Amino acid sequence: MSNQASIRRLPQARRPALLGGYEWATLGLVGFAFAVPVLTRNPQILSQTNLILIAATAALGVYIMLRMDLMSFAVPAFMAIGGYTVAVLSLKLGVTDVILLGVAAFVMPALCAVPLGWLILRLKGVYFVLVTFVLTEIVQLLLFEATPLTGGSNGLVGMPAVTLFGIELMDNSQVLLTTAGLAFAGFTITALFTRYFRYEFTAIEKNDVLAESLGLACWRYKALAFSVAAGVSGLAGFALVNMLLTAHPTSFAPMSSVSYITYTIVGGKGAILGTLAGAALLVTATDLFALKGELSPGLFGLLIIVVTLVARGGVIGLAAKAAGRLRRASPAAPARVAPIAAVPARGVKS
Amino acid sequence: MLSIRDLHVSYGGTRAVEGIDLDVGAGETVLLIGANGAGKSSLINAVIGLVRTARGRVTFDGRDIAGLPSDARARCGIGYSPEGRRVFPSMSVKDNVLSGAVRLAPREQARRWDGLVDSFPFLAERQAQAAGELSGGQQQLVAIARAMSGGPKLLLLDEPFLGLAPVWIRQISAAVQRMRDEGIAVLMTEQMARPALRIAQVGHVMRSGQIRRSGRTEEIKGAALAEEYL
Repeated sequence: MSNQASIRRLPQARRPALLGGYEWATLGLVGFAFAVPVLTRNPQILSQTNLILIAATAALGVYIMLRMDLMSFAVPAFMAIGGYTVAVLSLKLGVTDVILLGVAAFVMPALCAVPLGWLILRLKGVYFVLVTFVLTEIVQLLLFEATPLTGGSNGLVGMPAVTLFGIELMDNSQVLLTTAGLAFAGFTITALFTRYFRYEFTAIEKNDVLAESLGLACWRYKALAFSVAAGVSGLAGFALVNMLLTAHPTSFAPMSSVSYITYTIVGGKGAILGTLAGAALLVTATDLFALKGELSPGLFGLLIIVVTLVARGGVIGLAAKAAGRLRRASPAAPARVAPIAAVPARGVKS
Repeated sequence: MLSIRDLHVSYGGTRAVEGIDLDVGAGETVLLIGANGAGKSSLINAVIGLVRTARGRVTFDGRDIAGLPSDARARCGIGYSPEGRRVFPSMSVKDNVLSGAVRLAPREQARRWDGLVDSFPFLAERQAQAAGELSGGQQQLVAIARAMSGGPKLLLLDEPFLGLAPVWIRQISAAVQRMRDEGIAVLMTEQMARPALRIAQVGHVMRSGQIRRSGRTEEIKGAALAEEYL
């Protein structure tokens, strides 16, 4: 009899495909960003695409943890660890290879998340939220105070451009290509990870006590997810630092975690596409509302209220519901089958 | 198989279980009966590790499991069906059932599934259906099948007949009797004394967290003690 508490897979009746429709659609859209610099040289569009991809990649950290019903405010902390790791490596050690830096930006936060996860993942609900927020505050404080390593309030400035096979990726188009590559890596990792452990995460999200009583060591799954979420956030931190060519504490302000959570909720936390949709909608809205000056925060808040009231499943949930209605309304659609609960099996009276 | 000695469970200042001694042998079905608040579910939850014991020993298969988390206890070979039809609503019926078989190899899981389908034919009919769309009674059966799917040495059933139609009660009773024949120990709680007493060999009547009367089920039936307490 095996009594090992290793990560185990729930034995699904029918293993899902490697990726589902939402995952493929999301990767297709993120992959399309590689084509944007070819299609346009408009700096406004390049910059906007860059911002959307960074925001969406950061929001993945929230999405992964929400798969297990854990609301994490720690994304800016891990973005900072990833971003500063890249800045330190390039400025102090002269490492500019984008692949090496990308690996470091993922691995360093993921490793830092292991002991942190061990400490905080036994918490649930509001306590987990609170502790992750405090964690971000502590990291922010360390960035300001560990001056020899982080540059303190001046940050780390004058980073060299990253390189790919010795070619400098310097101009706007190349910076976008770097961001697109990091976002694509982040989305691919997240899609494969959440799909692979889809049923385990669902079991933990719906009833972690029950899942545990069936033999799933829930905290191990949570620790693994926390680590992967940290790594993906680190990739977003790398993209942000690379865009600004500066690593500064204010780029990773604790309150920015609210934005990443908002992107995920407004886009729809039920599917990975939601993070991209939420980031695209809200980053664009922020940009548009900025033209209205002092009304901007109010308009932004109004948009969030409207979306959360009208679409509890987020933009993607609303779209899926609308598509379902259209399918049912179509004359070619088969007659609706009665819900199974209304069709008792042989002899069922209950 | 399962040995409980001087078990105490408290919720804050409230004592739910007080000084329980109980044994369940291989192939034996032991029944805990009592009214709401008697401490039956607390006792079951203490065995699977969902509540902390304030005092006492829980030994399973010769090993003290009192300090183990519930996932480790499940991997030791304890199957658990909670009270109240707790299924994973968005998962299919088959996925729900096999989620209790995490520790088994795929071939063994398939064998277990086939065995469960023999006991509960509706599982095959509904295997691809989301469990949340089943009727309450069907969900209860899925939860029980899930507890059986891991091939447990000890099965904990918390109010398995709750809200079920007689036809389902008969199916569950037959399945429990088959498990007993295979040498599996069963510890179950139930308020519906009559059908439960028919499948158990030993009964304990609980009240206020204590066992007030124990004996062979014939004795308990004979004394109509269950009715007295219920």
